[in-house]
Amino acid sequence: MSRKTERLVNLTIALLATKRYITKSEIFRTVDGYEGTAESKERMFERDKDDLRNLGIEIEVGSFDPLFEDEAGYRIKPDSYQFQLGEVTSQEISLLSLAAEAWRGAALDGSALTAIRKLHAIGIESDIESIPDLAPHANIRDKNLQVAISAITSRQKISFKYLSEELIEQERKIAPYAVTSRYGHWYLYGLDLEKLGVRSFRLDRISGDIASEGKSGSFEVEKSFDLSSQGSNADEIRTATIFLRTGRALALRSRSKTASTKSSIAGWDLVELSYRDQERFIEEVLWYADDAIVLEPGDVRAEIIKRLELGVKRYG
Amino acid sequence: MAKQPSSPIAKTARLLDLVPYITTHQGISVKDLAKEFSISTEELLDDLNTLWMCGLPGYTPLELIDLSFESGYVSIRNAEILQKVRLLTKEELVVVAIGLDFLRESISKDRVDLIAAIASLQVKIKSLIGDIAQASPTVDSAHRAVILRAIKERKDLEIEYHSLIRDEVSTRAVTPLELGEDKGIEVLLAYCSKALGFRTFRLDNVKQARLLDSSQMISDAKSDSEELFRAKCKVNSRLRTTFERFRLETALATAPSVDSGKAVAVEVTSFSRDWLVRNFMSTLANTEITEPAELAKAVGQKSQATLELYKNERFSS
Repeated sequence: MSRKTERLVNLTIALLATKRYITKSEIFRTVDGYEGTAESKERMFERDKDDLRNLGIEIEVGSFDPLFEDEAGYRIKPDSYQFQLGEVTSQEISLLSLAAEAWRGAALDGSALTAIRKLHAIGIESDIESIPDLAPHANIRDKNLQVAISAITSRQKISFKYLSEELIEQERKIAPYAVTSRYGHWYLYGLDLEKLGVRSFRLDRISGDIASEGKSGSFEVEKSFDLSSQGSNADEIRTATIFLRTGRALALRSRSKTASTKSSIAGWDLVELSYRDQERFIEEVLWYADDAIVLEPGDVRAEIIKRLELGVKRYG
Repeated sequence: MAKQPSSPIAKTARLLDLVPYITTHQGISVKDLAKEFSISTEELLDDLNTLWMCGLPGYTPLELIDLSFESGYVSIRNAEILQKVRLLTKEELVVVAIGLDFLRESISKDRVDLIAAIASLQVKIKSLIGDIAQASPTVDSAHRAVILRAIKERKDLEIEYHSLIRDEVSTRAVTPLELGEDKGIEVLLAYCSKALGFRTFRLDNVKQARLLDSSQMISDAKSDSEELFRAKCKVNSRLRTTFERFRLETALATAPSVDSGKAVAVEVTSFSRDWLVRNFMSTLANTEITEPAELAKAVGQKSQATLELYKNERFSS
């Protein structure tokens, strides 16, 4: 049996039950578990407040009587303690629980488990029959994701080593804003505190552990930051015209917005494709070798020809 | 399940969650309750004994939480103060928000009710934590569910599979064995009736999955071990992208013995020779094959064949 646990629960009950602020001396006098010298009680109480805050329990500090300004009072508002999504239907409970299930065995399974417990504690039977058979799964075990998310929600700065394109470890210090998962990779967005701009970092390119820097609540997210527009503002969109052998280069073909038109050459289609990152586009086209021939833009075509000539020279 | 005793903080969180849970599930068995909270019955009994000592200041029987569980079934009284379900922490909300993103992508358009329910939950969550997490899954949760069901019920599957290496979409019957992971990519290990052998399929390239009624085809399967192809090459530039493409450990290039930023000699491997050829085509500008000569020659021939098309007047404007 843990004295500390008992004390934390008793403190929570006392602060939740009170309608007015109660003072520290009242707490020490009435709540079970505060023992020792005045100083050690103080220390205990400060630590307990932090521990409860880490559990998402906010202790409100206020003055219970304007005449006694020097002595602060404490309480927990029932509204800030209890489930905040309001009335939920059995279908919503099922959706929320299933969403949390995605993290079973993954990076955030601890939070997923406690979320599911709370959802079940509401006591509404879930209505799983109304939902199609789905098995969501967050395929990531990287502990850095949990550290990053916790830093984002508590607005705490972080630092880490990041691998550059030259595979050199660079020190980065950022104010973390958000995470996304795209194309099977997780990205962390934040204000780079040295480059003074919003940057994205692929999580698996972070080498070693993310470290916390300083206190929580130490920055505000820039008002201009918009997660939905991230990842699309780096390069402008360009359009390529490309010959694709009929029935080949399927992945490239599926990205084309225009219906593939038959070209003047038998056995070939002429297709329009848009791309942002030119280097990546060239590598993608070369994957299909003699099944994909770029017509436009001219500079891309010239670069591909240059590389093919290099290939012939080197390996021919 | 919990191998080590919980920290006092984790235990506190659990006690605070036990009260509302027992309140809405009066008379639940100790066994079921322990299972719900993923702890052993011993740990649960310890939790309940601790909770029994808690209550309002005064701590007389009138103020203490009243629990009964000697019969093996748990009920609770006198715990009104704690009986409200606790709020979801910000981290828990992020977890749920990302999970909802995964679900939304897999729900068919005609389930307007579910799409609306998910959207309204996401709006609620965003109003609490802001727009701090978004996910677009690469694997359809419905396909994963079908595959898991097939494994559980020992049934065969028909999958429509897009092979990037063969550059084709094909339909094939497979006997699924297990879901796994290959360098960060979710894969299905299965016996493939088409290849007559065990194959791994990337889940993100499974376009459709359907349960079959047939029994296992695997019984008379010979386990053919696939041949592993090896090649040595130098990576001259775009190191990070190229390492990721060939699924090489970046530690190979960041070791202190390596001149950072310079060309790195590595060995790449694959069960598919085509995969190697295509990757060396993609990285003509960044890699140089040193062996085997046969592979280098194949890439040279591919380059030549492609170059001929570029030089052909019909493919220029």
